[in-house]
Amino acid sequence: MSLPELSLHGLERPDSLGSVCERLAERAARGEKTVLLAGGTDWFVERHVAPATDGSEAELVLDVSRLPELRGISASGDTLWIGAATTYLELRRHPVVAARVPLLPAMSKDVGAVQIQARGTLGGNLATASPAADGVGALAALDATVHLLSVRGPRSIAISDYFTGYKRSVRAADEVITGFTVQMPGEGSFQYWRKVGTRLAQAISKVALAGVAEVSDGQVTRLGLGMVSVAPTTAFLPTVRALALRRPLDRIADSALDAATQADVSPIDDVRSTGDYRRHVSGALVREFFRTLRSR
Amino acid sequence: MIVRLEVNGERRLVDLPPLTRLLDALRGPLGLTGTKEGCGEGECGSCTVLLDGDPVNACLVATAQCEGRSVTTVEGLGALDGRARETGGLSLLQAAFVTEGGAQCGICTPGMLIAAEALLRETVDGANRKPTDTEIREAVAGNICRCTGYQRIVDSIAQAAALRRRVSPADWVRENLPFAKAEGTRGLL
Repeated sequence: MSLPELSLHGLERPDSLGSVCERLAERAARGEKTVLLAGGTDWFVERHVAPATDGSEAELVLDVSRLPELRGISASGDTLWIGAATTYLELRRHPVVAARVPLLPAMSKDVGAVQIQARGTLGGNLATASPAADGVGALAALDATVHLLSVRGPRSIAISDYFTGYKRSVRAADEVITGFTVQMPGEGSFQYWRKVGTRLAQAISKVALAGVAEVSDGQVTRLGLGMVSVAPTTAFLPTVRALALRRPLDRIADSALDAATQADVSPIDDVRSTGDYRRHVSGALVREFFRTLRSR
Repeated sequence: MIVRLEVNGERRLVDLPPLTRLLDALRGPLGLTGTKEGCGEGECGSCTVLLDGDPVNACLVATAQCEGRSVTTVEGLGALDGRARETGGLSLLQAAFVTEGGAQCGICTPGMLIAAEALLRETVDGANRKPTDTEIREAVAGNICRCTGYQRIVDSIAQAAALRRRVSPADWVRENLPFAKAEGTRGLL
């Protein structure tokens, strides 16, 4: 569906999460396509570049951007809840997030420019399921739990179990991403975000790395990594994690990190970069993460 | 779908297909052509407007999502500035773009002004401080200009931030806009 065909889409504004689930279930049972629209920063761009069609496939749009159940950030003990329709700008402005999970505002600041940050949402970033999703990289590093809801009930899954392939996930056609929970890193934890793009703003990542680590008595006791744009899905770098977790920090050699990183990534050439460059940067970012961690 | 929204402080109503871009609603039935379309895909910032005070790309917002919300376009900047009468209908920010050479071909200017207005509201109005050079550059990082090389835009915003804090607008006009006549400077941008 192209831009001139926007007028063919119907739009509904359900007034509760329950209504969204019911509407999704009805339509999924009939095989009808439904789009959940939050910030629209991907959906409208896709319409802009899409070829014209005969208009018969105009999916119904459900506006979920202002559903109270999907909005907001709250902390309970060490658990942080982030509603799926929370925007990057809201993440940047939240005092608890800034104090306890500075990775999130650091990442949010690098997503598009402020105009995109004011509209784009963390839930939308996951729903699109692009391997270039910066927000998902940060959620991966935080080992977030994804919460889904449908008329069949709620379910919660580890973000590492969410993806099934390039832009594919375990989310069923009748399910809504309601939000995320994150175990907030402890005081003195190390949080890292570095994005490599064409320029500082408005760039889609060539490669980005989000990382979280806790070290106790020289040993890595918590380690989360999420790398962007280096594989068909967000890369969780399991080999690197296995190499370093519960190991003395000073015995993790750069050569071993390099080998582990290269085992975990499978980047391709595309319009934004080359596979070779991405492999090079992947290694450099992982080494920088550990170098900085050691020097603290 | 009938959508009720507030545009530049006035209650307005439009009847459009719900997924109509806010940009098209503004430039069409709402008659506000100050907001420009550049790339149409959220890259260039020409169509930046304030939605409930935050800058957004109007090419990526569905009109139906604006129900009950407040939109500020470039046409509203002077109108919302209580001192604009003294600058010929322009806000101090707009006038600074004139005097500092921040506007050239004019396509990016409305979006630049709106992005800058958001920054000044946050820093000058909200925290009573001037934005840093880095903050100014970050605030307009989503706005692409192909004429000025950005330095004069940054200078304009810095000038506006300084003046918005302390100088009487009447004095500023006398010092900086000697050409401002009774009929105002509208039309210079």
